[in-house]
Amino acid sequence: MRVVIAEDAAVFREGLVRLLEDRGHEVCAAVGDGEELLAAAAAHRPDVAVVDIRMPPTHTDEGLRAALQLRRDHPGTGVLVFSQYIETRYAARLLQGNAAGVGYLLKDRVADVAEFADALARVAAGGTALDPEVVGQLLGAGRHARGLAALTPREAEVLALMAEGRSNAGIAAALVISAGVVEKHVASIFGKLGLPPAEGDNRRVLAVLRYLES
Amino acid sequence: MGDRLTPAAAWARAALLEPVGRRARNELLFCLAGIPLGLCLLVVVLWLMGVAGAVLLLSPPSGSMSWVGVVALALDLLGVGLAVVLATRVARRLGAVHRRLAARLLGTRVPAPPPPDRGRGRLGWVAAGLGDGPGWRAVAYQVVKLPLAFLEAYAVLWWAGGLVNLTYPFWWGLFRNHPPGVTLDPVPVATPFPGRLLQVATFPGTFGALALGLGMVLAAPWVTRAVVAADRRLLVALLGPGRLARRVRDLEHTRALAVDDAAAQLRRVERDLHDGAQIRLATLAMHLGLARETLADPGAADVARARELVDAAHRDAKQALGELRDLARGIHPPALDTGLDNALTTLAATSAVPVELACDLPERPDPAIETIAYYCAAELLANAAKHSHAGRVTVQADGRHGTLVLEVGDDGVGGADPDRGSGLAGLAQRVSTVDGRLRIASPRGGPTLVSVHLPLRT
Repeated sequence: MRVVIAEDAAVFREGLVRLLEDRGHEVCAAVGDGEELLAAAAAHRPDVAVVDIRMPPTHTDEGLRAALQLRRDHPGTGVLVFSQYIETRYAARLLQGNAAGVGYLLKDRVADVAEFADALARVAAGGTALDPEVVGQLLGAGRHARGLAALTPREAEVLALMAEGRSNAGIAAALVISAGVVEKHVASIFGKLGLPPAEGDNRRVLAVLRYLES
Repeated sequence: MGDRLTPAAAWARAALLEPVGRRARNELLFCLAGIPLGLCLLVVVLWLMGVAGAVLLLSPPSGSMSWVGVVALALDLLGVGLAVVLATRVARRLGAVHRRLAARLLGTRVPAPPPPDRGRGRLGWVAAGLGDGPGWRAVAYQVVKLPLAFLEAYAVLWWAGGLVNLTYPFWWGLFRNHPPGVTLDPVPVATPFPGRLLQVATFPGTFGALALGLGMVLAAPWVTRAVVAADRRLLVALLGPGRLARRVRDLEHTRALAVDDAAAQLRRVERDLHDGAQIRLATLAMHLGLARETLADPGAADVARARELVDAAHRDAKQALGELRDLARGIHPPALDTGLDNALTTLAATSAVPVELACDLPERPDPAIETIAYYCAAELLANAAKHSHAGRVTVQADGRHGTLVLEVGDDGVGGADPDRGSGLAGLAQRVSTVDGRLRIASPRGGPTLVSVHLPLRT
């Protein structure tokens, strides 16, 4: 997997580079701001970019803007936004229209190295990886949405894990239940939300997010 | 040319040039404009008095008034009523004109008083006008302006009379070339005393007039200035916002500063956390995660690599702790809890430049005051270390006379300027939120002395 990293904190950037290289990925470039990110992406055509939101010069949302630009310019490149905060607005902007090849994770998640690497691989492959916080906030923001109230607590949990981009097997492992039970919950959720069941993690997330956005 | 003058010569030169200076011209214009404006009230008063007088004259000495008299009296009363109702509003308008004149010609900027209430309905409008405090102060200004307008006219007389007198020798020859033996009436000469005219009958006499005119023109700027100074004082006192309104405005301003300052401080703390401890801890978590992975398979564990990762994590943890400690101290220095003098001692000990500290605080100021004083000292010390190239800094805190006076001085290069974003403007703002003030004496080349005056109680 070929990766570009945009992160202004040198110590964290170096750690990331090391982590990814240890796992056999190629880090084409590790840069410190949004403009350099776009230049590096154009030069290297990576599979995925890891992007911090707050970077110089204004330390506000240049990373996010660069990520959006990157998605427009290179639809084939996955973008994993990696930040110390989850902003509902940012998540909504990032996911607008298309959740394929997008991720939004808290930096804390890097502590579970394997999970982080999985999420990055998922984004690189055109999948989705959303932090549980993102999902929670989006669900919270969309709580008024019709049909959600009808979900049982267990189904809500399954929906949240689904929105993070996990597969049925992943959900089963996370909730310590069997894959069959998960499938039953998923079918029930789709039924209650009035969505036809579909194949593939990404389409499931899309369906969930579309529903939440409405 | 003018740089080798003795003090006396310089003074004489300034006195000679004064009448043709811009300031004298502007003050004269102010006086000229003041005359018609000041006489506005006179017009109203004379009109009302005129009507009243006419009534008295027309009415028979005894017995009932004629119907003409009744109508006139009614009109007069109506006029008085109308004048009273409109007084505050008209006076405010005139006041605004005066303020503009003062700003344009005298450079005295008087802020406008708060606008009057609009009132509801016609009665409300009248009531609002009658209850308009600043409006009545503007009326008072118009009343006092009446005699002042005469004084201003008098000042103009010095100019006009003086200038006319200057011309006598020049036209004398044109009109007075009669054959000898013809006696002509003497010509009056203006003097600074109205009603007392001098007279000139001969050509040499016109040089007396010239000298008098010269004296008057040279003195005129000072006469004008005296009258204008009096007007300016009245203007500031009566046409500006009242003491209370000014205080309210000051408080609104400093409150806005305090709110901004608090928000800016929170932003700074957030930024420091985000860029400092938080990222360190995230890196620490990453290193520990990698170490755990390395150790996950006991058979194939790469102990050297695991140790390296744990070392890195250990380093991250220590750095995060250091950054958190600095941040916490920046939010509130613990030493402040035991008193400003203790906190300043710690601050002085950690300063990059040697500090000579003297504290005399018989009683403890309020905590908020102590905090502000501490941050001033910290910022000023940091400035001295960063910008002044000082070899020695003195810090004095004196709370003996009911106020806390903090003085930070250094022997550096000086040139500290709050307008050039050295943090001094921010300090001045913070100090002003508790009615304190900050003074900077920092000539180029040094030394710098910044004194902060703070009340002991908030």
